Amino acid sequence: MAGSSYVALPGGRFVSALAGDRGQAQALKIAPFAMRVAPVTIAEFEQFLARNPYWARDRIPQLLASADYLKDWASPLRAGTALPPSAPVTQVSWFAARAYCASEDAHLPSWTQWEYAAAADVRRADARDDDARNQLILSATLQNTGHAPGPVGQDPANVYGLHNLAGLVWEWVDDYGAMFPRPDARDPGQGNSLALCGGSALAFHDRGQYALMMRVAVLSTLKPDDSTANLGFRCVRAIGE
Amino acid sequence: MKRSAMYASIFQAGLILALGVGAGPAVSATTSRASIEEPLFAPPLVPPAIHRDHAATVVIRLRAEEKEMTLADGVRYDFWTFNGTVPGPLMRVRQGDTVELHLSNDAHSHMAHNIDLHAVMGPGGGAAATVTPPGQESVFRFKAMLPGIYVYHCATAPVPMHIANGMYGMILVEPPEGLPKVDHEYYVMQGDFYTTGENHAPGLQSFDMQKLLAEQPTYVLFNGREGSLIGDGALHSKVGDSVRLFVGDGGPNLSSNFHIIGQIFDDVNIEGGSLINHNVQTTVIPPGGATMIKLTTQVPGTYLMVDHAITRAFMKGALGQLVVGGAAQPQLYQRVNAPAAHVEDMQMKANDPMSIGKRVFTQICSACHQGNGMGLPGAFPPLAMSDYLNSSPKRAIGIVLHGLHGKITVNNTGYESQMPVFGGQLSDEEIAGVLTYVLNSFGNQGGTVTAAEVKAERAKAVP
Amino acid sequence: MNKLLLMFCAVCLSLPLVVRAAPLPSDSVYRLPPLMLVDQQGQSFPLASLAGQPRLIGMFYGSCHMVCPLEIETVKKIQQQIARAGGKPMAVLLVSFDSQHDRLSDLRQLAREHQISAPLFQLTRVTEGDVGLLGGVLGISWRAQSDGSFVHNAVLTLLDDQGRILAHQDAQNPPEAVFIQTILAQQNGAR
Repeated sequence: MAGSSYVALPGGRFVSALAGDRGQAQALKIAPFAMRVAPVTIAEFEQFLARNPYWARDRIPQLLASADYLKDWASPLRAGTALPPSAPVTQVSWFAARAYCASEDAHLPSWTQWEYAAAADVRRADARDDDARNQLILSATLQNTGHAPGPVGQDPANVYGLHNLAGLVWEWVDDYGAMFPRPDARDPGQGNSLALCGGSALAFHDRGQYALMMRVAVLSTLKPDDSTANLGFRCVRAIGE
Repeated sequence: MKRSAMYASIFQAGLILALGVGAGPAVSATTSRASIEEPLFAPPLVPPAIHRDHAATVVIRLRAEEKEMTLADGVRYDFWTFNGTVPGPLMRVRQGDTVELHLSNDAHSHMAHNIDLHAVMGPGGGAAATVTPPGQESVFRFKAMLPGIYVYHCATAPVPMHIANGMYGMILVEPPEGLPKVDHEYYVMQGDFYTTGENHAPGLQSFDMQKLLAEQPTYVLFNGREGSLIGDGALHSKVGDSVRLFVGDGGPNLSSNFHIIGQIFDDVNIEGGSLINHNVQTTVIPPGGATMIKLTTQVPGTYLMVDHAITRAFMKGALGQLVVGGAAQPQLYQRVNAPAAHVEDMQMKANDPMSIGKRVFTQICSACHQGNGMGLPGAFPPLAMSDYLNSSPKRAIGIVLHGLHGKITVNNTGYESQMPVFGGQLSDEEIAGVLTYVLNSFGNQGGTVTAAEVKAERAKAVP
Repeated sequence: MNKLLLMFCAVCLSLPLVVRAAPLPSDSVYRLPPLMLVDQQGQSFPLASLAGQPRLIGMFYGSCHMVCPLEIETVKKIQQQIARAGGKPMAVLLVSFDSQHDRLSDLRQLAREHQISAPLFQLTRVTEGDVGLLGGVLGISWRAQSDGSFVHNAVLTLLDDQGRILAHQDAQNPPEAVFIQTILAQQNGAR
């Protein structure tokens, strides 16, 4: 399975689980776009670094990555034998993820594009009403506790042909910082209602989407130079790019 | 200055120097006094009582850790913890202390975590200042302004899930004069758990959102694991000892109705505050609440700690043990042998078959066939004017001895109940007696059954 | 790439000799992947060419009707308070994150409306490079809405002459004393 392949998604009308400004459901119109079939892998990121050593951890400017950037890699350009090449690359900052996507003439998905793609399961474009399916996603996410992510593409593809939108890793999106605009986007503690008690109750109008809430909760605490062992990314392209 | 006071102050100065400078990063240039590293212990143990006559800066280091552990026998669960235990460690400080809390989040965590301590007066109880993504550390300071026993918990969205997965604990703020001395101190925290599989379904279980929303847990447990306070994990005391229990309820949803079977609580801090109630049997602890209980164990034995919403104790795991050693105290509690048979019964006990039969019928048969022999429609066939019985009294001997199941028709009505086996329980004389009694009562057609006939029937092999 | 080099050299020669020969520090904004800007007067230049003096930097978008005018007002208030304290006017750079829609003519229009002029106060758009990267570094994030407007925050950042981030000011709030002090200290240090 080639993770570097992109598939087309038709877009259309989509109601986000995130509440709008006044707590209401937001009906959005999503333009068609193409999305990477799976998260970017370690092997793919190694190739990117070979061509763009600016982003290697020994060279990358301090502003663009914290000390955790590719921390588990054996060396700045090589992940080493401990990390499987077909596992999603993690410990990457938002800046590095952007640069990777730019290198293949793509960019990070917006939150809405990501949410829309992830609403699908193997049979339906929008499976979000299915409690059993929501519980499965939750279980899959939780059962990764304590384990490094395995290879991409091991789950059945959803109706669009996409893998690993649930249960493998969290994924960067382009506008994660503006989902709940704060006075200072660099300070997650300040005014970020989602990071605090009860915030999710305000931010989500569909409170059955627990796995989604978890995902948003994690993203909302991060700064763009942060990276974590469970956070990877994939890219999208506008159709016709 | 008196000499002893001078020595005391030199000793104190030496002690401060010996404790060393605060181990954490220098967060404030104004920290002139050395800070104290809080010792932390896994539950049910607690840090020792504080013997200090002044406020201090206490450094507490917590680590958020997501970890698979045992939930019950053969059942595993992905817990989210403070310091690898459920509950997290009990912290112990003195009113007036400044607490410097370091919260680090394990690099391999999936979630950001933070902490809300109910002992804090300030935004989010600390939650606002401690949002910590995986691999990072937050530090904040608060002043422990009021004494009491308080809950702490993670307050990151979705909060019920963080709590349901085990991220809670307690912090004790001692009043300046300390707490009255006791012989033992223990820490117990109740929580409700929601798993996709049923209670005791084996293997790795996942958190179940639907059950959480319905507030219907599969497990209700003390200290995060069924049996954690049983057997090797039991709490211990001795006859005459005083015990202080710090008992809290992490929730997320259920209150605890805390009771120790066979024990009365001398003192209970109502809602964990300063008001103390006495001689309490069962105390209610709300989710997000805690209390201190002082009790004196008087009689040796094993005492069960329960949530007295008793299904939770015996069917969902809210059960622990307090084992009390020491000499028996017969003046307080004594088991006496079961009383002899009732005198009236003995006097009226005649040995003729009808009397025996009446006694057996009244004590045993009437339970199902009713006192008037009419049975229960749809359930138990009548013995009164029963064509089934009267057509073959001999058949009835086998039925009483060996029981009967399957469909029979009595007085044109079908019955498909089950008659238990009474051969083991009744003697030949008793069976002969009851059958004779029934045949000659309730409008039946008479007849006799002898003990010899019963004995012969009993000797036959069961078909 | 050659065009960039030429441009850079041209800019270099036109700057006073305050520009140091030593390499920029690793946490300098000017060390980021190159960003080409064009200001309201049609002047094209790389972001990195701005090294050499302390600067206020922020972001905006052209059709923003509330926050962005507020941001410009805050900049003006900062300039007033600095002047009152005996300092020099600060160089200011605002970068649009809506390169798609904000054309040169929009920048000119805005500059006229708010009476701001280059080179001291530059309204710019990105012609080459990743504007999102700049936003991330400055703590500014934005999200496009279906009607073409954006949900975003607004932060003014003080850079030292080498492009290091020194302080931030919420552009929607009155200038904080601490921020003004930091600017003044920078100016005094540079003399």
